[in-house]
Amino acid sequence: MSFLSSDFLFRNALAGGLFVALLCGMLGVYVVLRRFALLGVALPQASAAGIACSFLVLGHSHAAGGLPHAASGAPHAAALVGSVAATFGALALLVFTSRRSQIPEDGRIGALLAIASAATVLFVAANPKGDFELTGLLRGELLAISDGDLALLAGVALATAALFGLFRRELLLASFDPDFARTLGKDPRRADALLYSLLGATISIGVMTAGPLVVFGFLTLPALCALRVAPGIGWAFAIAAAVSAVSSVAGFGIAYAADLPAGPVDVAVAAALWLAVSGFARLRTAARSRAALLSLLLAAAGVVSGGCAGVLGAGDGDEASALAPLPRGTLPDPTRPVVVLRFRNETGQTLRLADPNPLKDLGRAAGDPFAKKGLTALDQLEAIAAEELARRGFTLVAFEEARRVAPNAPADPASAGFAAQRAGLDALVLQGTLSRFTLSPSRVLLITLDLALVDPRDGRIVWSGRAHGPFPVPAALTLQEAVRDAGPPVFARAFGAG
Amino acid sequence: MEAPLLRADDAAFGYAGRSVVSDVDLQIRGGEFVALLGPNGSGKTTLLRGLLGFVPLLAGRIERRPGLRIGYVPQRETLDPLYPLSAEDVVLLATYGDTPPWRLIGRSQRARASAALDAARATPLARKRYGELSGGQRQRVLIARALAVQPDLLVLDEPTAGVDPETAEGILVMLDDLRRARGLGIWMVSHHVAPLRARVDRIATVEDGRLCFEDVTR
Repeated sequence: MSFLSSDFLFRNALAGGLFVALLCGMLGVYVVLRRFALLGVALPQASAAGIACSFLVLGHSHAAGGLPHAASGAPHAAALVGSVAATFGALALLVFTSRRSQIPEDGRIGALLAIASAATVLFVAANPKGDFELTGLLRGELLAISDGDLALLAGVALATAALFGLFRRELLLASFDPDFARTLGKDPRRADALLYSLLGATISIGVMTAGPLVVFGFLTLPALCALRVAPGIGWAFAIAAAVSAVSSVAGFGIAYAADLPAGPVDVAVAAALWLAVSGFARLRTAARSRAALLSLLLAAAGVVSGGCAGVLGAGDGDEASALAPLPRGTLPDPTRPVVVLRFRNETGQTLRLADPNPLKDLGRAAGDPFAKKGLTALDQLEAIAAEELARRGFTLVAFEEARRVAPNAPADPASAGFAAQRAGLDALVLQGTLSRFTLSPSRVLLITLDLALVDPRDGRIVWSGRAHGPFPVPAALTLQEAVRDAGPPVFARAFGAG
Repeated sequence: MEAPLLRADDAAFGYAGRSVVSDVDLQIRGGEFVALLGPNGSGKTTLLRGLLGFVPLLAGRIERRPGLRIGYVPQRETLDPLYPLSAEDVVLLATYGDTPPWRLIGRSQRARASAALDAARATPLARKRYGELSGGQRQRVLIARALAVQPDLLVLDEPTAGVDPETAEGILVMLDDLRRARGLGIWMVSHHVAPLRARVDRIATVEDGRLCFEDVTR
């Protein structure tokens, strides 16, 4: 019999675990973002203490760790009251003491955790059938959930999800920037109260269903997983809920097949997913230069084709087309002249070009204070930029004027616009930032160059483009030759094909 | 003369019943650019936060013009870069004040955010993740967010701290342009007086918990 079939004995337990997982995953994003992780372990423990207390008071046992399963509904209702009262009582205590106590928040939550843990053990020890209950609670054996329990859980899950969705913006605003929320007339304390209430409801019902271990695990691991890869906050909630759900169902299946306690297996699956996603994210970051992987392949292709072209004498035509006009691409109409400012170097390298006179380089290397700095690859790229703009119909302002406007490379387009405005310049300014420049041994130049044309009249960016990728330079023997050969295709890519 | 946007009479602000800044008498007017200076610990941030209502008013009174809209730019370090929010998402937060919970963020809100990003010269940053922006870029995004409130008064807490001089100057020029173009009142906390003198109308200084003003003549 499949554990997914409708007559499956533990179908309710599976569905109940799924509801808990979805809620914990979703709310866990805020638990992680707001550094509530310690609260995420202390509150479930308080809830467990509340349940243990209710069992002790009623002198009733707990069937296999899940919701207390009795013929009458009274013990179950009492356990629910115990869980809810302990969770919300602990929350209220923390909020109350936060306003009056000098003890730091993590100290107060730590104290709550210690007290709740001790209370759970003591309540269970005082109960004649206590050991069984404690084990069940801590292991999260969510095996027996009645239809009534499931309906209650579904109701709480639905209400929590609805409130979370309805007030998602208020929750985000109060969490990310409560002061800014106040200036908009929103009281962040209300949003915080709602978040605490949703957490309290989820934890108290979740602990009764799946145990404190599962609740804490699902409040943290799926959120950590989601925050590694989510492109936006909405995606983070969706991914965290999905990871929780998958962990819950897969964990249940594994536990059922291998006869293991479901709670720890659920958490183990969530942890495995977190590790897998973290590994994937790390790989993605390392290969953010997809170029780094792709470029090697492209480079090989480029070297082969470039080499063939060189052998066949295809270079002759390039000279003829060097000054030929080119389509404008994505650039604006060339109605105003352009001044090319110094490009910003964010590569961490000097990019100095070798001087034709080797003695000058020797003097610089020896620390000659009178030796000029010499040209860099950036100077060369700026010159090629001017040439390529001229080929696209733009009138260029002399470099001397550019140096007068901004002797140093502006940090960003806004600074470039400001510098030109301050200098009273009416021409558009081209600002560039070179963030990557690597010449590989296989004669491939890896470049990332961001360009922007700024109107100094109002500081607006009228055009922006990026050249990013590998540019084969098979015939280049020096850095200067590499920049010379790669320059036109670099700017063709940045300016667009037209 | 137009009524002030905000007025404080003999106001005192502080924490736990203890006054940090007292005897504050001031009027904030539209189109006026005021720099709030003072050494560390002098109480200038307490004053600013008091005027915004974040710190309790212990004495005196504060009057705000009815319907006053305030665009607040906090110190950028106070915002957590872990949140997976794009620059546009951060600016859209400004529209949440006018959008009931049951309404979706629509075209008009996005247009407001886009116009604000444009005014703060931060349009190319819109799709980038806020946590990955440089200090100067984050500052522009936060200014855009404040502008998206469509404010009468812009309040900035050390917007030029930790950015290079050119970027800082660019921010000041942008603020100056905005107050001229939109008639915004601007109050700005800063440590650096020199670059501000050419832009501001008044310099307010907090020293030993007291506020004094100096008119700037250009």
